[in-house]
Amino acid sequence: MQLVGMVLALLYSVVLAAVVTYGIGALRSETVDVARAIMIVFGSVIILGFLVLPLVFGADDSIDPRRFSLFGLSTRSLTLGLAVAGAVSVPALAVTAFAIAQVVTWNRGPLPVLLAILAAVIIIATCVLASRVSTVVASLFIVSRRARDAAGVALLIVVALAAPLIALLATIDWQSRGLPIARRVASALTWTPLGAIWSVPADAADGHIETAMPKLAIALAFVAVLWLAWRLLVAKLLVTPTSHAGRVGYTGLGWFERLPATPMWVVAARSLTYWSRDSRYRVALAVVPVVPIIMILTLIIAGVPASTIAWVPVPVMCLFIGWAVHNDVAHDNSAFWLHVSSNISGRDDRLGRLAPALFLGLPLALVGGTLSGLIVGAPEIIPAVIGLSVCVLLVALGVSSLISAGFPYAAVHPGDSPFAQPQAAGSAGSVVQTLSFIGIIVATAPVIALAIIGSMSAPFWYWIALAVGLGIGLVVLYFGVLAGARIVSRRAPELLAFTVQN
Amino acid sequence: MDTEVEEPLTDAVADAVEDVAAQDVVDDEVAVATEESSPETVEIEETVEIEEIVQFEETVEIEEIVQIEETVRIDRADDTQPANAVTVIEPPTTTSRFSLPRLTLPRLTMPKLSIPGLGRRTEPAEPVAAAEPVEVTESTEVTASTEVAEPELAEPEVAEPAAVDLADDEVIEIEAALEPEADSEPEPEPEPEPEPDADVEPEAEAEANEKPETTTDDEVVEAEIVEEPAPSPKSKSVTKKKSRTGADIVLRVEGLTKRFDETIAVDSIDLEVPVGAFYGIVGPNGAGKTTTLSMITGLLRPDSGTVTVHDADVWSDPVVAKRNMGVLPDRLRLFDRLTGAQLLHYAGVLRGLDGPTVRERTADLASAFALEDALGRLVNDYSAGMTKKIALAAAMIHSPRLLVLDEPFESVDPVSAATVTDILKAYVKAGGTVLLSSHSMDLVQRICDHVAVVVEGQVLADGTVDEVRDGQSLEERFVALAGGRKTVEGLEWLHSFSD
Repeated sequence: MQLVGMVLALLYSVVLAAVVTYGIGALRSETVDVARAIMIVFGSVIILGFLVLPLVFGADDSIDPRRFSLFGLSTRSLTLGLAVAGAVSVPALAVTAFAIAQVVTWNRGPLPVLLAILAAVIIIATCVLASRVSTVVASLFIVSRRARDAAGVALLIVVALAAPLIALLATIDWQSRGLPIARRVASALTWTPLGAIWSVPADAADGHIETAMPKLAIALAFVAVLWLAWRLLVAKLLVTPTSHAGRVGYTGLGWFERLPATPMWVVAARSLTYWSRDSRYRVALAVVPVVPIIMILTLIIAGVPASTIAWVPVPVMCLFIGWAVHNDVAHDNSAFWLHVSSNISGRDDRLGRLAPALFLGLPLALVGGTLSGLIVGAPEIIPAVIGLSVCVLLVALGVSSLISAGFPYAAVHPGDSPFAQPQAAGSAGSVVQTLSFIGIIVATAPVIALAIIGSMSAPFWYWIALAVGLGIGLVVLYFGVLAGARIVSRRAPELLAFTVQN
Repeated sequence: MDTEVEEPLTDAVADAVEDVAAQDVVDDEVAVATEESSPETVEIEETVEIEEIVQFEETVEIEEIVQIEETVRIDRADDTQPANAVTVIEPPTTTSRFSLPRLTLPRLTMPKLSIPGLGRRTEPAEPVAAAEPVEVTESTEVTASTEVAEPELAEPEVAEPAAVDLADDEVIEIEAALEPEADSEPEPEPEPEPEPDADVEPEAEAEANEKPETTTDDEVVEAEIVEEPAPSPKSKSVTKKKSRTGADIVLRVEGLTKRFDETIAVDSIDLEVPVGAFYGIVGPNGAGKTTTLSMITGLLRPDSGTVTVHDADVWSDPVVAKRNMGVLPDRLRLFDRLTGAQLLHYAGVLRGLDGPTVRERTADLASAFALEDALGRLVNDYSAGMTKKIALAAAMIHSPRLLVLDEPFESVDPVSAATVTDILKAYVKAGGTVLLSSHSMDLVQRICDHVAVVVEGQVLADGTVDEVRDGQSLEERFVALAGGRKTVEGLEWLHSFSD
């Protein structure tokens, strides 16, 4: 999940940055008034983002000053060094692109261009320092694991919703309604530290040099304040130990006493406990409802009818739930030795790991499928939606059983932040993920085809879709578990060696 | 030490204890002699018959033996015997319920598990067939104790040298028989035990009374040699080799090899671990100890070689072999998002135990390892020592015959280490075997009775601790074997401080 996530995020941000940069550059052709309003609003949002987003995202920082506390470096060198290191990051590069683009925007005369170049430098410095300061503040206050996970998930949701939001914004008629609003907001922001630097070249281009200079002073003061805060925080953090979140106590055995005491069920109990306690699984699960929301919003914007949209959320959620265990052995890491030394049968191991996905996915398929049909007022599609969802879930679980035993790849270590990258690099992961995803979709293609046939002809086909979906799902699950079990029984020590190396 | 017939028990016990000390097979840990006031000595004068000693497994008798033992030691102290000549494992003085894991050895249906060579005095008279090796051991202990005790009744002096020549394992059994064993319940199936013991005792006693003392020792030794191992139905090509002491081999490693790319981590290692041994593997860093133990326990596939546990090959018959082993690996994670109780439950059920058994054993293990209040916390929040203890508890929860522990005392505080040592020693006395690896020579010398020195993937020396030590301390011998110590030169800049 990690590698796909990272690649997708990278692509997403590159595309986004490119679009925005082009948009900023295109403001060159607008009047000063319009360009000014848009730039101030947009720029303020960017700086605000740099101030606020690390609060939710940055608690696990790789260049946290505390990591350097044992080296005996001077505060001065560390302050400058870490600030520069903070400039080497994707968001900072994006801001650099925006800053250069805004130079293009204000290429309307010598003074605006000069001030725009100066402003570009100040913008980059402001954003980098703002992100560093808020990262460090976040790591001081957002300490407990649950808070961090919640924050990370909130961020993911915000980021994921940015795309449809932008699409939505693109449909608004800017000229008539958007612009007055933008002007009002810009005039409110123009004297604040957030918007001051963006309005310096704008005011110069507008001819109001007397307002441009004070705003430049405000912006410089803001940078100075951030630098001072950064310096103080580094000095403080170098002598502050990491605080530990409180230790939680649990009574009873939880899932272990609710389920029977046989190897298969105890593996299931352990998987269930991990899904609820391990932050890696929790975050992976939290993303599950977000993806269909994105898809639904995008489809709504694109004007797809509701009856078609009803097919989307539940199968997609079941797909991601089933796919969540496709690298389960690597997530166990070397703790897998307990399975090897107790000579667990492959079948028990595989079936036990399926339990949480089944516990979650089957009710979701049934209830969600029913609701989808009822909400859009087309109850006849319910059997097919359920059939598709269950098929996707079972096929995903069968494929996951096979590839988590046969083709594991490096995963985030237990205890690390779920947003951290796995320590061992490797391209095998992306290949495995892609092929498995494609395989799952290919296996469920018949059910999709039957659903399409049903939508075009008689609802009777929906019932056939249900039956076929169940059949395909069970068959793939059976063979996937069988193959995975055989691999585990035969190659358990090699699997353990893999987990030890990664 | 003069014979005083009015106190036959004291002398018999004292003699046996002295013999044990003379054998030097017990470790040097001196249990603290509890200072008893003289009124306690009065209790000795209750004459307790020997038959009652034989029935020591009945809980009632244990306390009496305890008191006797303590008082014996006081006498010895008065006679200015060297402190380490008498070694007695003291009875538990803690007030808390210090019940150690009940190591119920499973009833295995393989008849080949008869353990010959443990000094069964009469073969035809032995009612307890080879089905229950543990019972054989126990009754042999009983037999041995009666052998030793009874002859001493008549002529202590003559019996002494005979007793002195007894083989190591005989003496260990004597010691075990005389142990109060209050801190470990009679582990192997206490219920059926008294019956075979009762059967064996009258016969053994009768024989002991008949035979002259001078031939006692020879009889015993001959009994060991004469008895052939019962032909194992699963006849493998590997013949059951006898070790020096004639005890059976629980773990046999032959030609184990492992190479990682170009480096040969383990170079054709051969090991034999006898039953009831406390076997230590020592070696410098990177010698291949962890690799060897991983291959023995089935966690790492060897390039070549065989590992058999009670004649079950670990790699071709893993079901049987792994069932007999408890593993504590080094540097491997645990499922640390589980609480301690959940982890023990998980480990136990994976090994085939049922829910109530696991819960009961979890409670026992927790109190034995002093982890009661930690069971409700995530293993992630444990300190390093507690993590080791919970992992050790998970390794022994299914009461295996062989415990393979990789660095069990690393990062464990001395108090916990002493607790763990006591638990392992009780386990070994009950018939289990411990194979551990360690860096600490002092520890290995203190608690292990066999040792193998592994350097760069090869076994340079193995055998009992005394054989390997060869008069020096184990650390000196190890340093000599490992290539001597290099004098450190240079590093003058370390002595002038740069600030």
